Amino acid sequence: MRQRILVTAALAASVALTLSACAPSAPPASTSTASAGSDTLTIATTTDVVNYNPLIGNSRSDYWITNLMYPHLLSIADDGKKEPALATDWGYVDATTGFYEIRDDLTWSDGEPVTAEDVAWTMNAVKKDAPSGTFYGQLGNFESATAVSDTRVEVKLTQADSSIIEEIGFWGNVVPKHVFEKAASVADFPNDGSDGGWVGAGPFTLTKVQVGQSYELDRVEDYPMVEGGTPIPAKVVYRVFPDVNTEILALQSGEVDVIANALPPAQVDQLKNSSGIEVEEVVGLGYAHMTYNMQNPDLAKLEVRQALAHAVDYDAIRTVVLQGQAVSTGSSPLMPVLSDYYDDSLTEYEFDTDKARSLMEEAGYTADSSGNFPVSFRLIYSLQDSVTSQWAQLVKDSAAKAGITIELQGTERNTYLAQTNAGDFDIYAGNFAIMDDPVTNFTLAYLPGGAINYTYVDDPALNELIAQGAVTSDTDEKIQIMRDAAKIVHDNVYDNIMYTQNLYFAHSDKWDGFITKPSELLSIVNPESLASAHKAE
Amino acid sequence: MTSLEFDPAATVGMTTPAEPVATENERAGLATWRAFRTEPLGLISLGILALLVVVAIAAPLLAPYPASYGTDVLKPPSLDYLFGTDSLGRDVLGEVIWGTQQSLLVAVSASVIAIAFGTLVAVLGAYFRKLDGFISVIVDLTLSLPVLPLMILIAALIGPSTGTIIGVVAAFSWPEVTRLVRSQALTVVNLPYVDAARLMTTSPLWIISKHIVPAVTPVIVVSVVVTASRAVLSAAGLAFLGLGDPTTWSWGRILYEAQQSGAMSSAWWLTLFPSIAILLLVLSATLLSIAYNDARNPRNRAR
Repeated sequence: MRQRILVTAALAASVALTLSACAPSAPPASTSTASAGSDTLTIATTTDVVNYNPLIGNSRSDYWITNLMYPHLLSIADDGKKEPALATDWGYVDATTGFYEIRDDLTWSDGEPVTAEDVAWTMNAVKKDAPSGTFYGQLGNFESATAVSDTRVEVKLTQADSSIIEEIGFWGNVVPKHVFEKAASVADFPNDGSDGGWVGAGPFTLTKVQVGQSYELDRVEDYPMVEGGTPIPAKVVYRVFPDVNTEILALQSGEVDVIANALPPAQVDQLKNSSGIEVEEVVGLGYAHMTYNMQNPDLAKLEVRQALAHAVDYDAIRTVVLQGQAVSTGSSPLMPVLSDYYDDSLTEYEFDTDKARSLMEEAGYTADSSGNFPVSFRLIYSLQDSVTSQWAQLVKDSAAKAGITIELQGTERNTYLAQTNAGDFDIYAGNFAIMDDPVTNFTLAYLPGGAINYTYVDDPALNELIAQGAVTSDTDEKIQIMRDAAKIVHDNVYDNIMYTQNLYFAHSDKWDGFITKPSELLSIVNPESLASAHKAE
Repeated sequence: MTSLEFDPAATVGMTTPAEPVATENERAGLATWRAFRTEPLGLISLGILALLVVVAIAAPLLAPYPASYGTDVLKPPSLDYLFGTDSLGRDVLGEVIWGTQQSLLVAVSASVIAIAFGTLVAVLGAYFRKLDGFISVIVDLTLSLPVLPLMILIAALIGPSTGTIIGVVAAFSWPEVTRLVRSQALTVVNLPYVDAARLMTTSPLWIISKHIVPAVTPVIVVSVVVTASRAVLSAAGLAFLGLGDPTTWSWGRILYEAQQSGAMSSAWWLTLFPSIAILLLVLSATLLSIAYNDARNPRNRAR
């Protein structure tokens, strides 16, 4: 197997070299060895585009396709650090003023230049119209943005916030002001191309849509953010398939070149060993977790939460359900992938059902003759999330060994989200794709009233630390504060972080040159990757 | 299908055996059994159904309840695992065996509810003619509804559980039963012996339970089997769509999990064995009902 990969790689390199040799536009000695051709790259997805407006968060397909047209100010590295994208420099002028310097060589597909005015207008419009989605969610301390020159945007904040500039830069898209301003509200603007097509500034622009079938994007000839200045595939086509099984079959038969959805863990080894298919690893930048609803009087007791945390066989979940494709975070919300923040002094809750039993007894519960404590907790999860559905059963079985009854309630995704938001659960199981910035995540997850505070925790010491972290601009100091906060979360079981899952994506070995980025949202279908992908032979 | 309908012409020349009269039950039953014994397909079907019932009841003796996980993931069928293992390393044989329990439970419960309710409505409609128009409208209305989308909607709204599945399948199966039983009951109600019964009592309950229901019993027996097999199909379909009980093993759940884990394209054993189980149950139930129906029809016996 190893040998075959080496041979393929050598072959690909030599073919690519020949290609670049006869293409004068390719810069000499560049790392990208292929040049713009006439190939079509076909990508499989399982959902249709629901929303063409990138400011409104929705399905995976929405993100993948709009992401190819509407640039982000910042990109992200495998360790969660932000990288330049449309913005070349960013930071703070003072505690309540941030700035971005942007590139001056990008144009919208209708010929208008991309300016600081587009950036400032997008942010102000999102703040004003409040479209549902992550972008608006990041604008808590945002007051207004102003284009001080064609390439510089300054952002006024309502209070000091040392994370917001990077978070807005990463999560927010930039849209063309001259197209979007025609709408009364950006929250209602469908952007469905009915008014003469789409105007974007990414490597590809949507040209043809057949709902339920395919989405065709044509190359933008002049795209300075890719090596060579022109994206290599002439066309990117997203095709809609019913599920991952049919996607795998389509990849095996050569009908598609890439599967955009992450592979189910049990399929990774099998596809790695299939001829004609390459599998790329993408680091996870999020986590899967369980939270214990402290509004439930039993779960408000620390010993009960500890007992539950000690009654989970984390190793079995990672080795069997995730096939060893996940890493322990030491039961801390600061995952190892955030290398600056990670604190290895926090260790994972040990799987020990005897310890769980004695903790339950300490909490004042007495087991009946068959060894069961008089408690029962309802664990909710989404049936569409196959990995969580699988480990929920393991959690139930191991808790039963500790005499704690867990009742599983897997439901259809929308029901699950409604239950989650209403706090209608004892234990919540779920995951987040990208948890890149500790301060932002802690604010949302552990402050009272936070959007994802599913534990309903309100701990004064923790609140104080998070508030401090948000205003601290010194990196080392901030890291120490967040580590202290993570220790409180860990020791009080305010959150039970189980693992960070590394993801695997499959593509045909006829294509090469993909650039991986963290999470399923970016993976190998991020704009940079698709613009650089080229035929291997 | 015509053999299910009551054919007045057939009764003209025959005084006793053809008429579906309660007092003839024992002799008619024996005659039916004698005729049934000569139908090999019917006997085989009966044998398969009996085997499935035995498997369901004896599940704890045949295989341990599928553990929450195992170490041999997605292994093809072998001597260790006759039906292979799934993406969590669980034995598919055990899942199919324990799934038989759930599938038969749904089949029996849903069809019993549908039959009881459907028959009650049918005989009430046949006996009290004033109700008949109203009942017919309701039955026609229910039969014309798009059943599958409604089942999906209801199952999704109430939340997946065995009770929901049974309720949903029963709720959409009774009109078929009503239509079948009603057509038989209508002719029975007009027979002279029912008029005679009316002279003996004023209690409709007594007449319905003693004279009409026994007379339509053969039709009910046939529809029990057909409804049960349909219930299995519906339950498996709903479970495959993720609307089954996620904590109890059923044949549909094995298919659903194979689909969810993306293993359908590579692990053929995950879909083959539960599908064979569903096929066996539905096919044998259908063949059994045909064989029974042929056997109890006196015109076929004469052949």
